[in-house]
Amino acid sequence: MQPTSSMNEEFLKKWQMGLQIFRPSIDNTSVHERKKAIKLSADVAMASLRKGTTCWSRALIEKTATEDNFLVRQMLSGIKAETLINKKLPKKTVCHRKIVRRSKKILRRKSKSASEEAAAKAKRLVKRRTQGLRNVVPGGELMSNDVLLLQETLDYIVSLQTQVNVMRSIVDAAEAEIER
Amino acid sequence: MSSSRRSRQASSSSRISDDQITDLISKLRQSIPEIRQNRRSNTVSASKVLQETCNYIRNLNKEADDLSDRLTQLLESIDPNSPQAAVIRSLING
Repeated sequence: MQPTSSMNEEFLKKWQMGLQIFRPSIDNTSVHERKKAIKLSADVAMASLRKGTTCWSRALIEKTATEDNFLVRQMLSGIKAETLINKKLPKKTVCHRKIVRRSKKILRRKSKSASEEAAAKAKRLVKRRTQGLRNVVPGGELMSNDVLLLQETLDYIVSLQTQVNVMRSIVDAAEAEIER
Repeated sequence: MSSSRRSRQASSSSRISDDQITDLISKLRQSIPEIRQNRRSNTVSASKVLQETCNYIRNLNKEADDLSDRLTQLLESIDPNSPQAAVIRSLING
């Protein structure tokens, strides 16, 4: 599962539109504000690729809107994604209904064999690692279901790779162009 | 918070869920370069895969942040209507 050429192209188009919208305000601001606008537009472009269908993308748009609501709304309008403006994060933790719900078993207190103890220890370690994922994936804290968390993680990675690939291509090409 | 009645299929749905998690972790293995390049990637534990995934995501975010810094200095060069934009577009599709 890797970013596709069409994903790269679509991200680039949305990102350029975002930069055009930001340009008037960018020209008159500090370096810090400029950098912030560039990163913010890249994040909105990345999140909008999913058209509100994933939890991480809705969480990311909400986060960027918190940082600069006016510019985010302008950009979403510019790339014809106004519907994402009102996409609220679910108050409940369920983002996908198709996921099979997993009932929690009551822990039985009994002595375990060595292999059972090892398996239980591995399970506890995996649980701690999934908590780490919740911290790095936007909206991760809202996903109570481990299956959903992993699905969203995979999708988020592909989208991040798209963002980085395109940004790197532009930066490298622009720097080479300047040195010409 | 009310507790839901235990379903008779609890064990089977739990098994389905575990299978899904195993499958998803396998996909993560293939998505993380540090793991994928390892000849023995099949033997990497689920816990290790998840840890490497966290590191990878943090690294990608850091790289995007660094690229934003570099681009800030080059902002004038990025004109969507310029020949440079056409060069960049061809680079991405090439």
